[in-house]
Formats: sequence, C-alpha cells, structure tokens
Amino acid sequence: MAKLEVHYTINGRKHEAYIEPNLTLLDVVRDDLRLTGSKEGCGTGDCGACTMIVDGKLVTACLMLAPQADGAEITTIEGVAENGTLHPVQQAFLDKGAVQCGFCIPGMILAGKVLLDQNPKPNDYEIREAIAGNLCRCTGYTKIVEAIAAAAEA
Amino acid sequence: MTTYSTVGKPITRVEGSHKVTGDSLYAADIQLPGMLHCKLLRSPHAHARIVGIDASKALALEGVERVITAADLPTFSEKRMSNRGYNLLADDEVVFNGQPVVAVLAETPSIAEEALDLIDIEYEELPAVLDALAAMEDGSPLARKPIMEIDRSEAKGHVSVDVKEERSDKPSNIASQAKFSRGDIDQGIAEADCIVENTWRSAMMHQGYIEPHSTVADFDAASGELTIWSATQGQFFVRDQISNMLRIPETKIRVIGMELGGGFGGKIFLTQTLTAVLAKIAGRPVKLIFTRKDDLQGATPSAGCVVELKTGMKKDGSITVIKAKIVYDSGAFPGASAVVGAILLGGYYRFPNLEIETYEVLTNKVSVGAIRAPGAHNVTFAIESQMDMMARELQLDPLEVRMQNAVSEGDAMPTEVKYPRIGMKECLEAVRDSDLWKSRGTKQNGNGKARGVGLAIGGWLGGLQPASAHVELNGDGTVKVLVGANDISGTNTSFAQIAAEELGLPLEMVSVATGDTKTSPFAGMSAGSKTLFTVGRAVKAAAEDARQQLFDIAAERLEANPDDMESFEGEIRVKGSPDKSIPFRRLAGITTGFGALYPPVVGKGSITARKQAPGFTAQVAEVEVDEETGQVTLLNWGIVQDAGFAINPLSVAGQMQGGATQGIGIGLWEEMVYDDEGKLINDGLLDYRMPTALDVPNIATHIVEVPSEEGPYGARGVGEPSIIPGAAAISNAVEDAIGVRVTEAPITPERILRAMGKI
Amino acid sequence: MHRFEYYAPASLDEAVALLKEHGDGVKLLAGGTDLLVQMKEAGLHPPAVVSLHAVPGLDGIEFDEASGLRIGARVDVASIESNDVTEQRYTALAEGAGIVGSIQTRNMATIGGNIANAAPSADTAPPLAVFDAVAEIIGAGGQREVPVIELFDGPGSTILTTDEVITGFKLPTPPANTGSVYQRHTPRKIMDIAAVSVGIRLSLDNGKIGEARVCLGAVAPTIIRASDAEEALTGQAPTDALFAKAAELAQAASSPISDVRGSAEFRRHLVGVMTKRCLDIALERAQD
Ligand SMILES: Cc1cc2nc3c(=O)[nH]c(=O)nc-3n(C[C@H](O)[C@H](O)[C@H](O)COP(=O)(O)OP(=O)(O)OC[C@H]3O[C@@H](n4cnc5c(N)ncnc54)[C@H](O)[C@@H]3O)c2cc1C
Ligand code: FES
Ligand code: FES
Repeated sequence: MAKLEVHYTINGRKHEAYIEPNLTLLDVVRDDLRLTGSKEGCGTGDCGACTMIVDGKLVTACLMLAPQADGAEITTIEGVAENGTLHPVQQAFLDKGAVQCGFCIPGMILAGKVLLDQNPKPNDYEIREAIAGNLCRCTGYTKIVEAIAAAAEA
Repeated sequence: MTTYSTVGKPITRVEGSHKVTGDSLYAADIQLPGMLHCKLLRSPHAHARIVGIDASKALALEGVERVITAADLPTFSEKRMSNRGYNLLADDEVVFNGQPVVAVLAETPSIAEEALDLIDIEYEELPAVLDALAAMEDGSPLARKPIMEIDRSEAKGHVSVDVKEERSDKPSNIASQAKFSRGDIDQGIAEADCIVENTWRSAMMHQGYIEPHSTVADFDAASGELTIWSATQGQFFVRDQISNMLRIPETKIRVIGMELGGGFGGKIFLTQTLTAVLAKIAGRPVKLIFTRKDDLQGATPSAGCVVELKTGMKKDGSITVIKAKIVYDSGAFPGASAVVGAILLGGYYRFPNLEIETYEVLTNKVSVGAIRAPGAHNVTFAIESQMDMMARELQLDPLEVRMQNAVSEGDAMPTEVKYPRIGMKECLEAVRDSDLWKSRGTKQNGNGKARGVGLAIGGWLGGLQPASAHVELNGDGTVKVLVGANDISGTNTSFAQIAAEELGLPLEMVSVATGDTKTSPFAGMSAGSKTLFTVGRAVKAAAEDARQQLFDIAAERLEANPDDMESFEGEIRVKGSPDKSIPFRRLAGITTGFGALYPPVVGKGSITARKQAPGFTAQVAEVEVDEETGQVTLLNWGIVQDAGFAINPLSVAGQMQGGATQGIGIGLWEEMVYDDEGKLINDGLLDYRMPTALDVPNIATHIVEVPSEEGPYGARGVGEPSIIPGAAAISNAVEDAIGVRVTEAPITPERILRAMGKI
Repeated sequence: MHRFEYYAPASLDEAVALLKEHGDGVKLLAGGTDLLVQMKEAGLHPPAVVSLHAVPGLDGIEFDEASGLRIGARVDVASIESNDVTEQRYTALAEGAGIVGSIQTRNMATIGGNIANAAPSADTAPPLAVFDAVAEIIGAGGQREVPVIELFDGPGSTILTTDEVITGFKLPTPPANTGSVYQRHTPRKIMDIAAVSVGIRLSLDNGKIGEARVCLGAVAPTIIRASDAEEALTGQAPTDALFAKAAELAQAASSPISDVRGSAEFRRHLVGVMTKRCLDIALERAQD
C-alpha cells in the first residue's frame, strides 16, 4: 500500500502528512498532527464528536478518508478562539453551564458556530436542528440550546 | 436560614476554558513514544468452548508485535474467575457474544484491526441461555460454571446496602437472590378495593457515554512501576484492583484519571488490568481504545429486568399490599443490583404488607454493571405505573395518592431500616403547584393526536465511602484544594465554592486540582451520587482546618484570642474591629517565605460517611401521541428534585436535565436488541438510539432543599435520582392521552399500537 | 480499516479503466458515508478504492422547462435539499434529501452514493422514482440510461456492473398541477433509518388524477412502486374513499420483514396510514 502525501490548511496554518490512505481525516488530525481537540465517539458518523468544518461545511471527520480532504481548508475546535479570545459560542457555553464532561463540546461548538454564521438569529427549533447530529449524553441539551441562543444575542 | 456568600450560588465552572477550546486531555489523547495499539478479537458465539486458536497468519502480518491469549496471562483462582473483572481474556469457554478472546498488539490501530481477521479460532458451540425467566427454570441449561464468589466492591461505590444475599445450593443460573417480607400478604389483598397485577419489562440499555472506554498503560521494568492513564470514575479503585490482581504494591502503581468523557456508572474498571498486563508483556506502552461497537457489545450495560407486581389499594387511597418478583438479567457474570431494586420497589410507599423476591440471573449476554442509579429505573417503571393504574381505577388523583402513601422520616424500607429526613413529599408539592401539572386535561386533542400528562417519582439511597482532601495556602495568598476524586460533573467547581465559603475568600482565589493516585489524597469513586456528599465534606473539613490554623497565626500576630477571629474577604480579622486584620497575602508570606515564622498552612480533611441521604425526584411528562402511528412526541418535561442544599444550582440543574434525558431515552428508545443466537443486533449509535436535541423538549428544573444530616451545608447526592422515573412518567402520560397501558419499556410506537389493538 | 490501494482518477475514462482493471471487489468512493461505515464495521475490505472526488462532470443541479432536471451523481444531498427548483417542483426529492442523517451527513452524502448503495430505506430513492428519474451510467462498455426504479435487484445490490459509474440523474419536468411528498417513519426525529417510507406524486388533470406515483421504501427487498394503487388512482377524482382504497392497495403491495426497526405487521400497518396521509398532502400541494 503506497503512502501518500496530503496537505491541509488547518486553522489557517499549513500542515502536511505522509500517510497510508486507510486513515480518516480524524485519524490524521488527531494522531499525526496532534490536534486532539476533535474526538472520536463512534467512528461511524452517528455522534458528531469528530465534527470539523471542511471547506466551509460541517462534516464528521471520522467518515472522511484522509486523502479525500487533500488540499482542504479545515477548522477544528482549536481554531475557533481567535488570539486567545473565546468565540461567543465558546464563551456562552461556559457562561450558561452547558459543559459537563466536555466530550461532545468541540463538535457542538463547531455546529453552533456554523449555524450562527449562516443564521445569526436562530429560533429554538433551528438550534436543535443544527445540533441534532451531535449527541450529548450529559446535559440533556437544554443548556446547550440556551448557550447558542445567548451567543446569538452577544 | 444561614446566608452564604459563595455556596448556593449558580457559578460557572472554575476549571477554566479548556473544555471549550479542545485543550482538555482525555485518555485517548495520550500518545507515548513506542506505543503499541491493542485490538480485541471477540467471541462470535454466546456460549462455546474454545477448541483451538491459530494466530500464525496474524503474527506474520508486518507491524504485528504480539498476539496474546489467556494462556499468556496471569491466572486467578477459580473463585475469583466468577467475577467479570478477572476474566481478562476468555480461557477455555466463552460465555457471551462479544467477550474478548485474543488481544493483538500492533504498530498502528489499523494493522491490529486487520490482524484480528487473520486469527482462526475453533469453537464448539454450547447451548446458549438468553432469557432470564427461562434461565431460572429447573432443567435450564447453565449459562456458565457456577458462581463461587461475588465481589460487590464496585457496586458498593454506587449504593450502600447491607443485606445478606443468598445463593442457591444446587448449580443454577441464579447468581444471587433475596427476599423481604412484612405483614400479611393475604390480609393486604383482602383489604384492598382494587388490585392491579402486571408484568413489567424493561430492556437492557447502555450508559451511552460519548467517550468509549480508553486506557493507556506503561510498565517500567527497571523500577517495576506501572502508570495507567485511563477514563475512569474511580482511579483509586482501579489502583487497588490492579494491585490485588497483579500483586504489585500500590506504591508502584500510578493511576491518572484523565478528563472523563462521561461514565454514568459504566466507566469504573474494565480494561485497565488487561492493558497493564499487555504493557508488561510487550515491554512497551499499550493503548486500548474501544470502538463504539466494542463498547456496545462488550462493556457493562445496564440490566434488563422483569417485574411481576401485584399491588392493592383501598377506596380511600391507602395502599394495602405489594407482592412482587423481580428478575434482573445480569448477563454472564454477577453485576445486577437485585437487592437495591427490591428496596426501592417496596420503599417509596408505606406498604403495610409486603413480600418481594428479587433475583440476579445469569444468561449468555454481556454482563451488566452500574448505571446512574443501577436497578432503579426498572422497578420504578413498574411501581410508578401501577400507582397510576390504581388511582385511575379508584378515580383518585394520582398525585394525592402518592402524597398520601409517601414514605417520610422514620418510615421503614423493606430492609426495615428507617428513612432519615427525605424530600419526596416536598417534590410532590412542587409538582402540585406547577403549571404543567395544573394544565392536565385542559388542552384539546385534535387531528388524531392525543395529549396526556403523567407523573412519576424516583428515589435513590446513595453510596457511602470515606474521603479526604487538602486545602493549602499558596505563597501569594491564594488557596489550593487538592482532591483525588475525578471531576465528572463539575464537582471541582463546588469544591472551590466550599473552600471559598469557609475561608471567606472570593472564588477567584481558590483553585482545585484533582491529582492522580500518587499525588492526591484518597477518594472513593465518583459514583453513587456521593462525590459532593463525601469529598465535599472532606473539603469543608480541610478548609475549616486551614482556617483554624490561620486564626491561630493571626491571633498571635494581632495579640487577640483565636476564638475572636473571623475570615472576611481575603483577610483574617478580629471580630468587630475591621482595622485589626491581616490579609491572606501577608499570612502566606509569614508561612511560606524564607525564614518564615510559622509553618505552612495545610488543612486536612478526612471523613467517613455513615449516614445515607436518599435523594428523591418527581417528574412530569407531557406527551402527544399519534393514534395512528403510535409515535410519541414530548411536548414538555419538568423535573423537581431534592438537592438537600444546592451548592451550585447551575450544576445541580445540569445534572437533573442530563439524568432526566437519559430517563426519557429509557422510556422511549433505548434498548439493546439481541437475536436468537445472543448477538447484539443494534451495535452502533444509529440503531441504539439515544435522544438527539430534536427528540427532547427543554427540561424545566425546580430544586427543593430538604437538608440532609451529614452532607456539606445539608447537600444530598444529586447525580442519580434524575434518571429514574422517565419511563414511568411517559407510560402514565401515554395512558392519560390514549387510555392504554404499555407495560414494556422502551415504549415504542409498535408497542403502543399493539396495546391499542391496531396491530 | 484494512489496507487498500487508493486511486483518485482525474477523469471518468480513467475511473472506468481503473474499475475494469481491478474488477471484483474494487469500490467507488463518493461521500464515504456508507462505504466507510461498511469498511469499518461491516467487514467490507475492498482491495482498491477509487475516489470520485477529482472526476469532473459529476456536479451541478440544472433545470430547464424543456428537458427537466439533471443532478450530478456527486451532488451532496444538502445541496438538493436547499435548491429552489427541487423545493418547488420536486418537493418529495427535497424532503427525502433533507431528512438524511444529520447536517454533517447531508454535507457529505451524495445522491449517487445513496442510490448506488441500494438500501431499501434510501431516502432519495422513492422521490427519484416518483419523478420517473433515469440514471445516467457510464462503463467500459459505453453509456446507458436506466430508470431508477429498475436499478435495484436486492438489498444493497444494483444491476450496475463493476466497471460502471452513475454520472447523474435526469428527472422529466413534472406536469402542471403536480404535488409530491416524501415521508418516513423513524423512532427518532432525525438520525435514523426509515422503518417505512412513502413517496407520492399526484399530477392533476382537470380536477382528476392524471398521473399517480406511489413508491414505498423499506418494506420489500428494494424500493417498490405500488402499481395497483397507482392504477386505482389514475383517472379518478380524488376522494377520501379513493385514497383509503389506494392505501389498502399499497399495503397489499408491501412485503416487509421483521427486524430491529420493526415487525412486519407494524410496517404493513404504517404503509396504510402513511400512504393515506401522503396522498392527502400531495393532493393539497397539487391543488395549490
Ligand atoms: C450517520 C448516518 C446517517 C445516515 N442517515 C441516512 C438516512 O437518513 N437516509 C439515507 O438514505 N441514508 C442515510 N445514511 C447513509 C448514507 O449517508 C447515504 O446513503 C449517502 O447518500 C451515501 O452517499 P455517499 O456519497 O456517502 O456514498 P459512498 O459511501 O461514497 O458510497 C456508497 C456506495 O455507492 C457506491 N457509489 C458511490 N457513488 C457512486 C457512483 N457515482 N456510481 C456508482 N456507484 C457509486 C460506492 O461504491 C458505495 O458502494 C446515513 C449514513 C450515516 C453515516
Ligand atoms: S466519531 Fe465521528 S460521528 Fe462519532
Ligand atoms: S457534555 Fe458530556 S457528552 Fe456532552
């Protein structure tokens, strides 16, 4: 199996890796590039813990073959805060007590961010729709929905 | 009422922003030089003898380092092997589909995975026992070799009960059983104006933490030291177990409880010993991360249960009798909380006549373990549904009937142990006053959709374990709290609040660290709703101790009496004379600087918890049922819970909402489905359905505070009760909506249509 | 995932050549949301994977009144869901595309993959079928066009040969006064797989039903058209009784199995309820 080189721009910084093709984008970002903020909860697209923004779209990186994302612009949770200032969604998650174990939170925050980028004043239902691909087992979602709504107000 | 400055306030987490920036480290994030990756080959049969294992092809695969079977592992006495924890890899016989048989160690996870397919195992299939009721019958084949000993040490972390379990004398699938009785059953039946009798079933379900089981182990041969990075709710428990099993002194084991991606009782001790042994054998660090399928097939889910329940009530609403048989399907090893189930089933109401038999039965399924309030939701589904049915038949108000019969301080549990002060009635009162409850029957049904409102309560006794903590004054006058309990639900924030309260400091001046087993004071596992209840008390005691030390020093400096000191806004001062004071910063200087006059201030708190503080909840569901498809939509959900004292109302509410949502999952969707051969069919999260954000409404919370005797400031454990009544509340709401009763949870559209006679 | 040879051809010809060269077992990769799950958890270990992501000509949603709608095979279902033309003229298709998985899934999942994967529960399949969609296929032997309803020959199986690629779908322009709908039953609101699904198109002609399509998913080894129901509807004035009759005929056409998503009786019951409801909705939309 031939190894191949992939190039990604992650959170504005260029990365390259020399990889075997049977890896997912999530594997490469976590294990080779050591950005471990994205999590693996299922590996099969069902939980959203591995959520990243790839070329502007929210995806589950556990189902994206690493070479398929070659050349892509990628945002992971590590790139959401800017110059040490938390993104309003991040800040709202803290303020509203929306974080418990934290395992779902990177994916939730990216889903919330993409929602607000596209729809700055979502209603409750739209927020719930936007995070329906992100399972959270700790919070029951109420405080997460409140946090995203609060970030929209911020 | 005492007023507090810091505790009792809704405070966002103090441990910083790392959970929202992706900087927190979980066990799977650990990468060590030279680390090998482990994958487990699991049994495809529910019950079989292992005839032979041929791993030669796997070993030939480039990148495969070792292939390990039970033959390579330390052996334990046959007695010990009755317990799941000692069965690292199956030896000779597999007893559930999904049981690990072979471990492959390879340079990458994908090579390890590929190697699994190259291993040939020859099995001789044995009869599989899959149904717990059938397994109890005389003449049933045996699911496994007879159980010789049951180690309940892990279960005790969740709930403390002292009941003698019995084991049957002839070989059987019954691992344990117990019986409780009181009064005269026949009389109780004769006195009743209404008798309801039903069989209630609830499915085996999974804790559903989003982070799968993960452990990394490293053994240093030169020093004999073992280091474990693990996703666990109980790092000290892991250390003690490994020490016992592998005969390594506790001083040589360092367990680092990493940030935990959810546990809910299911992540205490499972893969750590195996990973440690593998690291020792390989002489390299080993990482073992479960896939989701591994976790669903082979972790320790929550037991399925059948409750045969007969209850009676008089026209005036008083209950006369309970007679029940509870059967928990424990899977292939002991692990179901049969005794606790019986105590709760007969323990919410004042039954004058009672007879409850409870059984923990072995089958060839994955063995079960704890969950939030293990065993409680199953029996609560039965009793809380049946309370409604009796009330309905006698045309009584379901809330008032509960109020009338509710246990309170001094009433006896089925064990005849008396309840301390509890808040069940206060919870019901809060429901009575709620708009959601008052809205019953007021909204119109229409277009084939019926609306209903249902209520159910739940209670949990709580675990007891000793705990300790340190509170130290830093060089700059800030304060450090050190504990050994893994923070799984924001407990560290509450600890900071407690220390700040006791020392009269602003919260920003207190930091809390959870150390590992080498560096931190002992704590029990973070389970059983007791972390705050026990470790919180230790923190309070440690802060009080530190405060006393500060008072003594300050008194000497100010030439006052230590008894006249008070701590206020970062200063120690003489009561009534604010100008006679010393700031913490100065006290830090004279206790930690060069040539300091006084020894450093280190407060120690060690407590042992002896008195349970049961926590109750009452929850209300409002549903809409589509009468043609059986689809249930949740419109509203309200939860009331007695927190004793909410040290941090924000995190208490978060616990309530999370638990209630799990209870909703149990009520509507979650079920591990096995085929006729004992294979789990829904082994992924698309078909093992946990609620998404679209499936649940906003969850309204209401905290009541009936102080406990021992808890810090009167706090009670709040983690567990919230999960308990979901299925019952939904079952009651569905009957309110469409007049039929579903006796099996989850209450699926199909079961509703069957109950309605539509299919 | 096991190891495999990975190819990212830059043209259709190259892709077809690679497929032909590798023969059995080679897998095309589009969005990967079915393929990767199968490779990770369902024991599928193709020796070679041919990615379509660099192949030109598989994108785009184009519509004109004369020739109808063309959707490239690699178009993700999120784009189909939010497209104005599909929303207004091919409503059932927008609904089917809009209900797949989560937002993340929909951003990755392609319509070609949804169809080629051939799940009887595929959510774009009944909608495509009710619009008489035709799949454009290219292979070593040349090009051909096959109606979507005829593509499937069993669960997870199509009539495509190993060297064939679906390049797009053509949907004729629906007649005036057309209403369509797609619904599915799942226990959860989203992130679930249909236990039963129903796609309906009604095209009215002078107050009568000129054309009717009733397509059922997840109740037979492939999606099926309930032809008896369609015949009973065609040429008739829409009435409650007629729709009830059609729902019964749809039920009779279904042959569901019992599995983890529901028993056969449950599914058959739902076919009746949902067909009736969908007919009502399609009619309302046609009359709008
Ligand atoms: C979490 C989750 C939820 C899902 N929910 C749904 C759902 O609600 N409804 C639903 O219908 N599906 C669902 N799916 C399944 C899947 O997302 C869809 O079937 C999707 O449309 C597949 O498209 P893809 O591009 O990802 O296909 P791939 O996985 O890339 O390919 C699927 C199959 O099609 C073949 N193939 C792909 N493109 C072509 C082509 N152009 N020509 C010939 N063969 C081709 C591949 O070789 C492969 O066999 C879900 C999947 C996940 C992971
Ligand atoms: S890990 Fe990717 S969706 Fe769960
Ligand atoms: S906070 Fe634990 S899964 Fe969401």
